[in-house]
Amino acid sequence: MNIDWLAFFTVVVASLVSACLVVTLFSLALRLGDGKAKWRRPVSLAMFGLCGIAVAFGIYLIVGDHLLVLFSGGR
Amino acid sequence: MDPLILVALVIALALFFDFTNGFHDTANAMATPIATGAIKPKVAVALAAVLNLVGAFLSTEVAKTISGGLIREGDGGVQIGPALILAGLIGAIVWNLITWLLGLPSSSSHALFGGLIGAAVVGSGFGAIDGGVLVSKILIPAILAPVTAGFVSYLATKIAYKVTRKRERDGFKRGQVFTASLVSLAHGTNDAQKTMGVITLALIAAGMQEVNSGPEFWVIAACAVAIAAGTYSGGWRIIRTMGRGITEVEPAQGFAAESATTATILASTHLGFALSTTQVASGSVIGTGLGRKGASVKWRTAGRIALGWLITIPAAGVIGAAAALLVGLGPWGIVMAVVLALIAIGGIFLWSRRNRVDHRNLHQPEPGVFVRPKKRKARR
Repeated sequence: MNIDWLAFFTVVVASLVSACLVVTLFSLALRLGDGKAKWRRPVSLAMFGLCGIAVAFGIYLIVGDHLLVLFSGGR
Repeated sequence: MDPLILVALVIALALFFDFTNGFHDTANAMATPIATGAIKPKVAVALAAVLNLVGAFLSTEVAKTISGGLIREGDGGVQIGPALILAGLIGAIVWNLITWLLGLPSSSSHALFGGLIGAAVVGSGFGAIDGGVLVSKILIPAILAPVTAGFVSYLATKIAYKVTRKRERDGFKRGQVFTASLVSLAHGTNDAQKTMGVITLALIAAGMQEVNSGPEFWVIAACAVAIAAGTYSGGWRIIRTMGRGITEVEPAQGFAAESATTATILASTHLGFALSTTQVASGSVIGTGLGRKGASVKWRTAGRIALGWLITIPAAGVIGAAAALLVGLGPWGIVMAVVLALIAIGGIFLWSRRNRVDHRNLHQPEPGVFVRPKKRKARR
């Protein structure tokens, strides 16, 4: 029986950082999208954009390897 | 018995297992968006089904050992023939249906492992099981997964409520669509593979496919369709438990929990510490319940779910072992095992009709349950 504690620790840190980052960005985007000031809207949109990039990275993590296999011509 | 018939039976049961796998796990991705009203129930299961279908086709890397090393297979170990795989599948399917009837989100992979372990033990004694692997791959992760996801989800919920004001929080519903979709896609790339692995193993064992070759295209297509159909049929009982049974979920909580689930699953698959999707998702929901002020976690339900996880492997193992005993009797034993399995499946299905749960009555309280009227919060 051997448990890879280092791998587990990496998983905890990685998920903690990424989840909190996305939630912070999305929350700030919602908060900033609410106000009246002129600068708020573009900043809010930019933050939504960053969330979009995070989602795209997630999709890349899920299917990236497979696409690589597909386009490099088989296994 | 004609090996062709046996292999056909294994394939049929494997696809049915895939189907139960699909409807068991719809809740992981879609329970919270349905509960918060971010996506309509029917649309949510359709979206999950499509993403599972796509995900199944995208998966190219099939686990060579379906048992994940739990059973000492291969050279010098146990030879798992199609008959024992059949018995293991019966155990997995019946246990999956029982937990669905009880509305428990339990891991389908564990049910499959359990069924196969039970069958292998009957086939060749307890020496077939690698106890160390059982502890390090199943038991320890089963504790770590919900704790990790719960912790991440707790912090994410705190952040979401700190940053936003009340009237802005409906916006989280739009975010939920994306996070839930990611969970569904990840599920499709992972879970359909297990069934592909089982079918391929049976084909190889029967000498109908070359050793060490990947799944045939028709196997991939059949598994993809089976898991998508299962997902679309929606395990509404489990969705109810996850969406409402553990805690009342608001949009901000739903988004935080789904982000935590997505992040944890992606991190665990890419950094080499496998965690069960079901356990991660349940942990996130509990964590978000702890993270919002005024929300309460129903620990009784959480305890029932944890108990379900504990007994999943032994229970599926016992059913798998019983089926393996029957299968060991020869052709008639196999027929009897399949017939008994069909009777059990039919019985559970009929029993479930006594109180239907589907997208129409998903969030209605059960008759006879006392509903506490919502208290108006005192103004601060």
